[in-house]
Amino acid sequence: MSLSSLAVGDEAVITSIDGDVRFLSRITSIGLTPGSKVKVIKNDRNRPLLLYSRDTMIALNKKECENIKVQEGVA
Amino acid sequence: MIDGKQVIALLGQPNSGKSTLFNGLTGLKQHVGNWPGKTVEKKEGSFVRNGKEYIVADLPGSYSLSANSDEEMITRDYIASGKADAVCILADSSQLERSLFMLSDYAGIDVPCFLVLNLADVAENRGKKINVEALKKHLSIPVVSLSAPDTKKYDELYKCMEEALTKKTVLDASKLEAEYEKIEGYSELKAMIPDGVIKGYSKTWLAAKAIEGDKAVKEAVSQRLAFDDKARFIQIISKSEKGTLATSKCKYDWINSLISEAVVNNESVQPFGKFDKAITHKVWGKPLVILIVIGGLLGSFIPALPFMGIGMGIAALIPPLQSGLLEAGVPNFVAGLICNVLIQSVCYIIQMLGFVFGVTLVFGMLEEIGVMARISYVFDNTMGKLGLQGKSVMPCLVSFGCTMGGAAGARVIDNWGQKVLTIAIAWAVPCGAAWAIIPMLSSNFFGAGALLIIVIILLVMLLHMFVTAKIFGKMLVKKEDRYGIIMELPPYHKPKVGALMRYALGRSKDTFFRVVKVIIPICAIFWLLSYSASGVAEGTILYKVGTFIEPVTKVFGLNWKLFTAYVASSVGKEGAVGVLSALYANTGTIFGAVAGTNAANDMQALITAIPKPEALAFIFAVTFNVPCVVAVAATYQETHSAKWTAIISAYYTVGSLLLAFIAYHIGMLIW
Repeated sequence: MSLSSLAVGDEAVITSIDGDVRFLSRITSIGLTPGSKVKVIKNDRNRPLLLYSRDTMIALNKKECENIKVQEGVA
Repeated sequence: MIDGKQVIALLGQPNSGKSTLFNGLTGLKQHVGNWPGKTVEKKEGSFVRNGKEYIVADLPGSYSLSANSDEEMITRDYIASGKADAVCILADSSQLERSLFMLSDYAGIDVPCFLVLNLADVAENRGKKINVEALKKHLSIPVVSLSAPDTKKYDELYKCMEEALTKKTVLDASKLEAEYEKIEGYSELKAMIPDGVIKGYSKTWLAAKAIEGDKAVKEAVSQRLAFDDKARFIQIISKSEKGTLATSKCKYDWINSLISEAVVNNESVQPFGKFDKAITHKVWGKPLVILIVIGGLLGSFIPALPFMGIGMGIAALIPPLQSGLLEAGVPNFVAGLICNVLIQSVCYIIQMLGFVFGVTLVFGMLEEIGVMARISYVFDNTMGKLGLQGKSVMPCLVSFGCTMGGAAGARVIDNWGQKVLTIAIAWAVPCGAAWAIIPMLSSNFFGAGALLIIVIILLVMLLHMFVTAKIFGKMLVKKEDRYGIIMELPPYHKPKVGALMRYALGRSKDTFFRVVKVIIPICAIFWLLSYSASGVAEGTILYKVGTFIEPVTKVFGLNWKLFTAYVASSVGKEGAVGVLSALYANTGTIFGAVAGTNAANDMQALITAIPKPEALAFIFAVTFNVPCVVAVAATYQETHSAKWTAIISAYYTVGSLLLAFIAYHIGMLIW
């Protein structure tokens, strides 16, 4: 499932990330890689997704979230 | 080395406290310019320690050392240029796992470096203990734990710096290399890379970047390879699809192995407190942001007031000085030049500096505390429609008070194109001076209809902003910069008021020298145009030109008097009504009206003399005209581009006349 379909409070592990070199380098440098644990803090309509990963609060545009697939639950 | 002085380059992700450290180290001794041929801001400063002067170069903020943006390429080229004697890498102690990414991306570069674990206070509050000695041992570079706001504790930092410079400490990348070796093709790739492809960058670093599909590295390496090797090199790279994911896994694994030994009690999470809940609220978030910006605008006036007082005080001296000069036998022309151009310009500039100082200080503080990042989140979708980041909402809101403040506030936007576009859009927002004259003019001419006019002005403003974004967006904001927000909401930081104050002062000083070049010539030109030896309006060049082109300006609903007042409004909107009054009812001179030294305005004379459609045209022309000479100067200062300042000014002149044309002809249909 995609990252944006998670609900507030859900925890998940990133399984795959798609995109061009530019996007991959940006998203990994902010701490999101396959295997990262994430927790959703806020998921409001028409707002970026707010999640917590590697001790960091990250705001992420919804469209970009579509390229990030996750497995719910903590591995 | 620059001029025999040793150079320290600061490298860190956004929010690592880099600019705070830069301000803390250099204080007033800094200057801002552009990187040669680029639109990225270049900040350099210096400090003296034990009688020796050091240069500090603030490398552009970026999250990594990839080759995806101008900022990152400038950083890489700077390191390769050999100018930096040591690179100071910053990380946020409270979130080491992510913020050490820059260090891991630096690993493999042979330029000496040292690590600053910033925001130690935040980490401590979250119950994190970092074993600095263990990190030193693993990395074999000097490491220091620091709370950037605390200059008193800089001693440790200086020691680290000196150690890095004298011992030329190079980051030990062997353990990261061991991780890289697990990637398929890495070892073969590394073996193919010849010596010294890019100065300072080791084969380890180049091979990892090649795996990531880094274009610049790919080009530099393949240029040096024989035909067969080149083909093989490119073959390996193209096979390693999504290599960035593989190398970043190595980097985070390496970081985790560092942290597991050096950080204890790594359990706590960043609190999502009451303020965060309120500002990110679905309904209340936006109103709260608007309140914060209004509060910030009012707050900016507090440090600005003394400056404004001084500026106005000097302005008040102009009339007695002028009459004094005339009595002493100084020719009218010379006295006017001294009083109305030189002194008047200085008054404008001092008042402007006060406000630039206030805005830089207050909004710089909001940025440093971490509020600006939240504003970005709240307005991401709205401003995204204009091709801008969420932060851009701030300059637009500030412009309701003062366009110059909006332009100065745009400096928190880290992308140059988006910064220029934001300022261009913010110009469409009628400023405080427009709000002072437009409702007054409207109600005098149209009674209760004034309310409707104000509503229409607000709607036109929104449309104007949208159209401006469409017209300039394509030129200013590259398509690849238009992707959505990927940003950290940093933990709240204590702002370093002292350093910020010094920074704002330095900034104001810098502004002074730049804007003098803009304001004095514009004031001089306008004064020459409005000068007449006899004192009557008919003797001015404005009159001659105005009456000559009147057939054209009439199309826009502006006779020569209205057009003169319109021209005056691009110097300062406050003066527009005064100029009308001077021309229609002889209440003073044109320049006196702009400078605010004329007698009271005669509104009654205006109402009887100006037909309603022309008044309406005038209202729209003035509202959407170039805001004022000071806003032009501030725009030049922030964009560092005379070209774009001129383009935006010309665009607003044409746009306002077009709106006047529409208003005039609609008015003709009504009345």
